[in-house]
Amino acid sequence: MTYVTVEKINKSFKGQTVLHDINLSFKQGEFVTLLGPSGCGKTTLLRILAGLIDPEQGVIKIDGKDVTHVKAKDRKIGMVFQSYALFPNMTVAENIAFGLKMKKLDKAAIQKKVARMVELTGLSGKENSYPRELSGGQQQRVALARSIVTGPKVLLLDEPLSALDAQIRKNLQKQLRAIQKELNMTTVLVTHDQEEAMAVSDRIYILNEGYIAQSGTPHEIYTKPVNEFVARFIGNYNVFKGEELSLLTRGTEFPHKLYAVRPEAFTSQMIDNGLEIIGKVDKVMMLGNVTRYELFSNGVSVTAEHLHKSNEDIQEGTLKTLYIDKKDVISLA
Amino acid sequence: MKIKRPFYHYLTIGAVLLYLIVPLLGTLIYSFSTQWHKTILPEGLTFHWYKELFGDSVFLKAMGRSLILSFGATVLSLVIMVPTIFSIVVYAPRLEKFIQSLIVLTYAMPGVIIAVGLIRAYANSGISMVVVTVGAYFVGILPYMYQGTRNSLRNIHAVSLMEAAEILGAGQFTAFLKVILPNIMTGILVSSLLSFSILFGEFVLVNLLVGGSFETIQVFLYKKLNVSGHIASAIVVCYFILICILSVVIVKVTRSKKETV
Repeated sequence: MTYVTVEKINKSFKGQTVLHDINLSFKQGEFVTLLGPSGCGKTTLLRILAGLIDPEQGVIKIDGKDVTHVKAKDRKIGMVFQSYALFPNMTVAENIAFGLKMKKLDKAAIQKKVARMVELTGLSGKENSYPRELSGGQQQRVALARSIVTGPKVLLLDEPLSALDAQIRKNLQKQLRAIQKELNMTTVLVTHDQEEAMAVSDRIYILNEGYIAQSGTPHEIYTKPVNEFVARFIGNYNVFKGEELSLLTRGTEFPHKLYAVRPEAFTSQMIDNGLEIIGKVDKVMMLGNVTRYELFSNGVSVTAEHLHKSNEDIQEGTLKTLYIDKKDVISLA
Repeated sequence: MKIKRPFYHYLTIGAVLLYLIVPLLGTLIYSFSTQWHKTILPEGLTFHWYKELFGDSVFLKAMGRSLILSFGATVLSLVIMVPTIFSIVVYAPRLEKFIQSLIVLTYAMPGVIIAVGLIRAYANSGISMVVVTVGAYFVGILPYMYQGTRNSLRNIHAVSLMEAAEILGAGQFTAFLKVILPNIMTGILVSSLLSFSILFGEFVLVNLLVGGSFETIQVFLYKKLNVSGHIASAIVVCYFILICILSVVIVKVTRSKKETV
């Protein structure tokens, strides 16, 4: 059953429309990501959900209740900000307890809930520390604990991991997802990082210039991009015109305007009824477990990726034959 | 490796220090001297001028008036300006440019022109000129209060903190009181001390607006200049000690602020 509904949301700043008729819906306990490049409107949409910005048109419903004009403080949502926005004058415990105090809970209940959150977010021993005494990862966890301790109906995350280094970010992605699942909390994440979106989400909405370009599960989004923007934004898809693909495959007919092919869909092993591309290897890059290179054929460049194997030596300047299954050539709208 | 500093560097620094210290030292010694007219060093040292100064009820009253005027204007500015600046920075940032232009105007107006304008406007209005002086002081310290408070609000990312507090269920007033105010207190304190010390030394406005009818320490000093140089020096020394104390407090507060950031 739908838990959060966003219907026909429109918003403009200084006469420029940043959100056009946005419709979203997600179920209780779902982890939804709003993914898109800078300036696509994802943060504005999140802030509208939070009640920090009023939409010009449209309706927001949470748990069946119209909250479009409900103040942020009464909306029963939690939010983690990009800058964490921890209160510098308060300790970790006081930061976490703030929302509970605003709800006027008794002292014993506050202490119990704070202790549970401290344990859940791995902050034991840091209760009496001030935010300035914590690392970026610890601050992020305090912000998370503070936002979920009040038991919000929806948790909103505004690029909460973007300021952290890669290793900590990956660990926190796992923790975030584990905590979200444990609490079965409906969560909306805003990010521009497609890998992060793929790693944590049940469903992804891709935004571009204020429109929803595509929505679906991470698998659907990755394997079936519906247009050029999504294909280019998700992963390193090759986007070919029909005639370029005909040139590459020496005459095979491709009637549509644009096609997308994932770089890892190319293989060195022959495929029955597959397409064959012969070209010169260029720009070989070792990316850890993956080798990426370009193949030039008939003036068209193809980016291909293979799992790194010690017995397969890919040399720049050599001729190479690649094969691709026809079903991996996706026609774009 | 130790960097060699040329001799003339020390010479320049020494000359500047001498230029700054000699008048102060001269004033200090003169305030303790029995007579210092015909000799290189004072003829004798005495506490007489300080005894006379602190025994003079007019001096103590003048000191009290200066404190009341400066403190009153500073408190008034705190009560009115801090919430106003907060509202502008958090809720109406578009107004910032306009407010800044207004504040620059207070620098552009010479004290004499302000005083003449105020006298013409309020002399026959029935409003006490002491109140008018407090109002003028309020405007005079606007730049210090505005810059200090605005910078503090920006440093703590007041907008995000307010949003976080409101999402956690706090009303705007509660969020301001519990989250914003404690975090900008140091900045406000520094601005207030700075404003207070500037107002305490103000002479032009107070002399022209209230003059003899509400004698402050600066007006008292001006009068004593024609009576006794020794007493005038003692007043300057007292004033300087008070400003030094304020400066030390400002430095201490600023340091503790840096340590906590």
